[in-house]
Amino acid sequence: MTKDSDALVDVDVTASAAEVHVLKSYVATFYSQFGALSTQKELQKRGVSAELQPVPRALSSSCGLCLSFQHDSPLCLEDATDIEDVYQVTADGYEGLVIF
Amino acid sequence: MKNNIDKKNQKQNLYQLIALLVTGALIAVLAILLTALGNPGNMGFCAACFLRDIAGAIGLHGNPLVQYARPEILGVVLGVFAVALVRREFKAQGGSAPLTRFILGFTMMIGALIFLGCPLRMLLRIAGGDLNAIVGLFGFVAGILLGLFFIKRGFSLGRKYNQKAVEGVHLPAASLVLLWIVVFVPSLLLFSAEGPGSMHAPLLAALVAGIAAGVASFVSRFCIVGAFRDSFLLKKVTPTLMGVVALLVVALVGNLVLGNFQLGFAGQPVAHTEAIWNFLGLALVGLSAVLVSGCPMRQLVLAGGGSSDATITIAGMLAGAAIAHNFGIAASPAGVTTTGAVGFGFALLVTLVIAVVYTFMLAKNRVIAKEEVAAVGEKKGLCAQDD
Repeated sequence: MTKDSDALVDVDVTASAAEVHVLKSYVATFYSQFGALSTQKELQKRGVSAELQPVPRALSSSCGLCLSFQHDSPLCLEDATDIEDVYQVTADGYEGLVIF
Repeated sequence: MKNNIDKKNQKQNLYQLIALLVTGALIAVLAILLTALGNPGNMGFCAACFLRDIAGAIGLHGNPLVQYARPEILGVVLGVFAVALVRREFKAQGGSAPLTRFILGFTMMIGALIFLGCPLRMLLRIAGGDLNAIVGLFGFVAGILLGLFFIKRGFSLGRKYNQKAVEGVHLPAASLVLLWIVVFVPSLLLFSAEGPGSMHAPLLAALVAGIAAGVASFVSRFCIVGAFRDSFLLKKVTPTLMGVVALLVVALVGNLVLGNFQLGFAGQPVAHTEAIWNFLGLALVGLSAVLVSGCPMRQLVLAGGGSSDATITIAGMLAGAAIAHNFGIAASPAGVTTTGAVGFGFALLVTLVIAVVYTFMLAKNRVIAKEEVAAVGEKKGLCAQDD
């Protein structure tokens, strides 16, 4: 297991070139505002631009804020705090990926 | 495809904004109508005051001036419950530090009864020209900023869990029972003969207004604390804050048209002029509400939608109202008593201790495991996995 901060780099280095460049849009919801804030910081530290926004009504949630980001996989959320759900943004709406 | 997604998002955001503006305007109109129909001045709608009145009606406190089973509250809970069922959005969830939420509901009520109103009534008071409520607004914002100070440093009451449906049905069921008692055996309840508790709109009008306000708030997720909190966090005016502004503007215009607007500090309905307490009272409401994620009105809406955490918070508010009136902590138009000052001091201290403990002294839950994400990601073919 690599150190936390190296995990993202691992994916970039080892995945094939085609996969690395396919950025997908994700939305992550949280049980707490702190979860959203700290995860945003963590993602930004890893070079992933993540934006806080009000949770889309279609998803609803407890804390009111969600994190919208683009990446080639939701794996960058591995150490997120208080995470509730992760959705991939598709043309049809939101597809749930991880439901706890 | 990205363009399509953006367009769809824009459309959804627009609908959301419209829903929030309509909700704000609707609550303002309902509040003004309810005042015209008999509710106390600048108190067409107030989640904290009305819960306090309900606490009085069922004998939890003995202040004869504020006892009335407010149908507005019952309407909010039952309306939300019904619409949540119809929209298949009813979710029984809870288990996020329930007893801490009880205490925070308690302290939120103490703050509201020192100011004399919840954030919703603060807006209605401002719209009525009550400048004491502007002082309160500064306190409210200060409380929210203090809450955000803790949230940014790690405050979290922990995750909630899915529960058996019955956990989410308790408050709607209790509301239905209380409504039944109000209609068929009102002699069981206490009714104020004078004071704010004696002033009320007709039962049916109040009930329907409560249902309408609850349904609109549920569908739009209207929340006064959330509006300020998210605007500060995102550093921009959120749609929810625009909904709050809509409420303020419509109530202001309504009051001007009906001649209810009376600018000044002194002689405002159900209000006192002690600036420090107006500030501190709503500061405690803002702080407690940020910590439990939602103002008193929002707690009612969440509870109707199945949140047992919100139900516990409301139980805490009822207990807070009972203690506040039984021990003379609640303010009156005459101002805040010495007992009130001491009681408030304790409530503020307890809230700060909770904030500090949950921010700095507890390990954070890191609930997502790398392996779980990887497994799901692989199954969906979403990511290349190497380790």
